[in-house]
Amino acid sequence: MKKNYTAWSFKTIPVDQAVGTAVTHDMTQVIPGKFKGPAFKKGHEITSGDLCRLMQMGKNNLYVLDLKTGQIHEDDAVMELASALAGPGVTFSGIPSEGKLELRAAYSGLFKVNVFALEAFNMLPDVMCASIHTHTPVTKNQSLAATRAIPLVILRADLDQAVALAKEHFPVFSVTLFLPLKIRLIITGDEVYKGLIQDRFQAIVKEKVTRLGGTLEESVILPDNQDRISRQIQEFLEKDTDLIITTGGMSVDPDDVTKEAIEDSGFEQIHYSSAVLPGAMFLLGYHGRTTIMGLPACGLYHRTTIFDLILPRVMAGETPGARDLARLGHGGLCLNCNTCRFPACSFGKPG
Amino acid sequence: METFEVLLQESAKAHGHLCSGQVVGVRMAMEGCRRIGLDNPRERSQIKKLIVYVEMDRCAADAISTVTGARLGRRSLKFVDHGIMAATFVNLETGKAVRIVSRESARTLAASKAPQIRDRHRQQLEAYKTMTCEDLFHIQAVKVNVEACDMPGPTKFKAVCQKCGQVVRDRREVMKNNRILCRPCALGTYFTPVKEQEKKENEKKLHRMVI
Repeated sequence: MKKNYTAWSFKTIPVDQAVGTAVTHDMTQVIPGKFKGPAFKKGHEITSGDLCRLMQMGKNNLYVLDLKTGQIHEDDAVMELASALAGPGVTFSGIPSEGKLELRAAYSGLFKVNVFALEAFNMLPDVMCASIHTHTPVTKNQSLAATRAIPLVILRADLDQAVALAKEHFPVFSVTLFLPLKIRLIITGDEVYKGLIQDRFQAIVKEKVTRLGGTLEESVILPDNQDRISRQIQEFLEKDTDLIITTGGMSVDPDDVTKEAIEDSGFEQIHYSSAVLPGAMFLLGYHGRTTIMGLPACGLYHRTTIFDLILPRVMAGETPGARDLARLGHGGLCLNCNTCRFPACSFGKPG
Repeated sequence: METFEVLLQESAKAHGHLCSGQVVGVRMAMEGCRRIGLDNPRERSQIKKLIVYVEMDRCAADAISTVTGARLGRRSLKFVDHGIMAATFVNLETGKAVRIVSRESARTLAASKAPQIRDRHRQQLEAYKTMTCEDLFHIQAVKVNVEACDMPGPTKFKAVCQKCGQVVRDRREVMKNNRILCRPCALGTYFTPVKEQEKKENEKKLHRMVI
């Protein structure tokens, strides 16, 4: 809600009388298509040489600030806001620019947002924060969010309320380290086993898991034989395995037996089907500390599938359940763009 | 700021000996401070405006610390482990910053600048005193984004490790497996605790040696 700032004690002076006074806030200049940034930083003492540039920026009058008790300058306010919002793995500059602070990743991992708390924060007066989507894999220094106090001066009471809310829901933003998971892969399919076609799944899975810090310890190719697949899964379970991935055999044809083989292998939890295309016939299960993922064959054709949405979460130590797979429905449709821009698109971003 | 000779003496005393690294460090620090507009960085009015990043833990690092007054414990001296004879000087007030890298070519140039000195170390030491900054250094204007958690001043951020209970300052904690952890718990340690048994054996060995 916007407050009536005319009641506040800003003194306004014409720009031609401002020589010798200090700028009270970073003043942004916009040159269309060329530049947007602070032309004058807070504290800069205005010289006669600056007057022309100020007028070109459309500034004919300047504020002289006289902060009263209970009023906080935007730069001080934003430091408190960022400190309260940023949890582990989230860092920000010690010097605000244009009253704003950018929150960045202190290390690579899975970015997580308390979406409910962020919405509640943005309902409060005179503060804002915008972020990228939750559950996005991020790299060190990547931009995650930005926050600011909206007016040049904010009331201490409003700032305290925003800080208290962020602290109550700590951490609103965090980055969780990816775990160095030990992964074992079972590629199923008579056609691959017999050598009629060459396997391509191993390379795809290996690239995606190693990028997040996992290691592909072992990989085997099996025919569509329920018993053999199940025995292989049990063998992997007895080894030091964090994640078992199976590929193929997840569909509805008589030769598709991988799902049944997984069900035979004693998993306590199994979630079959996800609200994502490509990837509807995805399986996710848990047994003790081992996770299993059944990848449908769509992973061979589509560059990005459900695997790319769930793998980072599992690598970060999460155990997504049926509700998580259902929630992905909103934003779960890949548009199959000619040039894939994932993750910079709506795929896998429930809103 | 004091003269070069005074600062060099001071630096050699603080470091423990006079060496070519001291000469390079003192000159680097003097030039760095001059270029970012801090003429007397150790003075009270300027001491909080400066942050220095050193990229090696060699003799020159001590010289830079002596001349600028930047200290690890004050958070005004940052060690970036690059193994490069370089340092960056940041004026926090104006944002002005320069990175100064010692040129390897200065080593060979030293021979022609002080041919009368035979000893290579002494030759470098004397030559570096008189060489121009351009011959001695590569200097570039840079921008440094100093993180809020790296700023000098009182501790603003504290967290508690959810595994071992250790208090972690300055946002060095990490999130792993849904827990806030200190780095030793999350990422491993650079040390290995000595087990009780080993300790006793070591004590016995020591005892035997004494006898």
